[in-house]
Amino acid sequence: MNLFAQIYHLVRKEFTLEWRQKFAITGILLYVLSTVFIVYISFQNIGPQVWNVLFWVIMLFASVNAVLKSFVQESGYRQLYYYQLLHPIAILLSKMIYNAALLLLLGVLTFVALGFVAGNPVQEAGNFALALFLGSLGFSITFTFVSAIAAKADNSSTLMAILSFPVVIPILLLLVNLSAHAVGLLGGTEIWEKIMLLAAVDLILVALALVLFPFLWRD
Amino acid sequence: MKYWWKALGVLIILYILLVGMLTPLKTGILEASPANLHTGQEATLTVKGYNSNFTLEKEKLRAWLKMDSTRAIAATRIDVVDDREVKLTFPIPAYLPVDQPVKDFTLLIDSPADGASVLPGGLVVTQDSIDTTKGDLLWVNADISQLHEKQAFTFPYRNILYETIRNTYYHVPMWMAMFIILTAGVVFSIRFLWKANPDDDRKAMALTNVGLFLGILGIVTGAIWAKYTWGKFWSWDVKQNMTAIALLIYGAYFVLRGSFEDPEKKARISAVFNIFAYASLVPLLYIIPKLTDSLHPGAGGNIAFGSQDLDNTMKLVFRPAIIGWTLIGLWIAEIILRTARLRERLLED
Repeated sequence: MNLFAQIYHLVRKEFTLEWRQKFAITGILLYVLSTVFIVYISFQNIGPQVWNVLFWVIMLFASVNAVLKSFVQESGYRQLYYYQLLHPIAILLSKMIYNAALLLLLGVLTFVALGFVAGNPVQEAGNFALALFLGSLGFSITFTFVSAIAAKADNSSTLMAILSFPVVIPILLLLVNLSAHAVGLLGGTEIWEKIMLLAAVDLILVALALVLFPFLWRD
Repeated sequence: MKYWWKALGVLIILYILLVGMLTPLKTGILEASPANLHTGQEATLTVKGYNSNFTLEKEKLRAWLKMDSTRAIAATRIDVVDDREVKLTFPIPAYLPVDQPVKDFTLLIDSPADGASVLPGGLVVTQDSIDTTKGDLLWVNADISQLHEKQAFTFPYRNILYETIRNTYYHVPMWMAMFIILTAGVVFSIRFLWKANPDDDRKAMALTNVGLFLGILGIVTGAIWAKYTWGKFWSWDVKQNMTAIALLIYGAYFVLRGSFEDPEKKARISAVFNIFAYASLVPLLYIIPKLTDSLHPGAGGNIAFGSQDLDNTMKLVFRPAIIGWTLIGLWIAEIILRTARLRERLLED
């Protein structure tokens, strides 16, 4: 099997697994809904600026919880089996692709839920969608790789938060800035500059993750 | 002399302590009152000088109110009170040749003893009614020429900064030394993954430790400086925030190291995290502050160090300071490295 076929089968495996144990995905979806609701009843009136920040903060916390399990969930023996059967890079990439899809779904759900209770301040839907896409990708790359690191230690869930939050803050800052344009808080023409920068950061991180992963998975 | 670089580091630090602290500032103007003037007024300003010697050659003292690069009013009377205080009288015309109701002026004093000193934009003239043609007629332009320059080894005088300008030799070079040392740490992490030599991981750990320490020093010296110049220890400033993030990342690096028992696994995984964290942060430390407004020099239209603020005398101290703090940092890293090696050897026996 070549690399692409391996990735295809692995992504399919992730979806099938998720579909069979529905409690995990339902748990994350409920997590998003209840967080949105808690935020809404605490703030009541949410202006565009607060909306923008809240959206990404909810996304951040939901993403960490959603991605955390990617390397922790499966037992060491089963992982050993995968690594013998398949290329380790295919395993990493398939998890990144699957998590990006999951986070995109979470983002859309957060957007719908927050828009439903607190109104939808987004004026430039295209830019917002682009920010959401690049954001899901960036979060997925960073969190998947950090969860691979954290899974090697014993106290992985604490480690996941302290390792991944500082690393992801620059991406989060760019995302908040980018979607501030979409919400109409910021004007100006430098929006493409920021999109290119975000895409470049995503690209650098995925390249680096691919280079470093061979050193990580072996025990 | 095997350890010449340690001696060099100590010498440079002594040099920046002595020269950086003992060199006086240039003469400057602390304040001029009243700061609000009206047209048609014979304005008498009380001007307070800083490091000034107004009584020396006081008959050669000259003063101007500069409106723009070509137009200025000369002082008609100059009464020197003492070395630090002088009273200046300016005849302000009834109309100004500009159509702004409120116009800011720059005060300029020239003395053969102290050289020229300025108070940029410190005075405001309010026009009761605007008539630029009358203003042009009434304007008596004074020519600013033959300014003196004091020939002495001094640091520049800047309003707001005053004596804190000396922090340039601590805050900024510590920050740069941190970058150099953290980069060296990442290089050793890469080398460890390449060659799997446990000593490379110890070197990476020692350098990152010192980098974190220099980062803390940089953030503390920066916060104290910010308190004096911006008014608060922590203002929502992009560079301050990014530095805090950098410290969090390297804090996480040491937590990660602490959570492994097996030394080989610890070295390998922390090297991977070190490289990943460095690459995700460091390019952005340079790019993000340029995109957002910052109070720091060099961002959001602020003047950068190196263009105007850092003059030649300051460069003589500032540039060695970068080397000096880096060398001291390397020395500390070497000691941490040697203790780590000894601890390892003790555990083996």
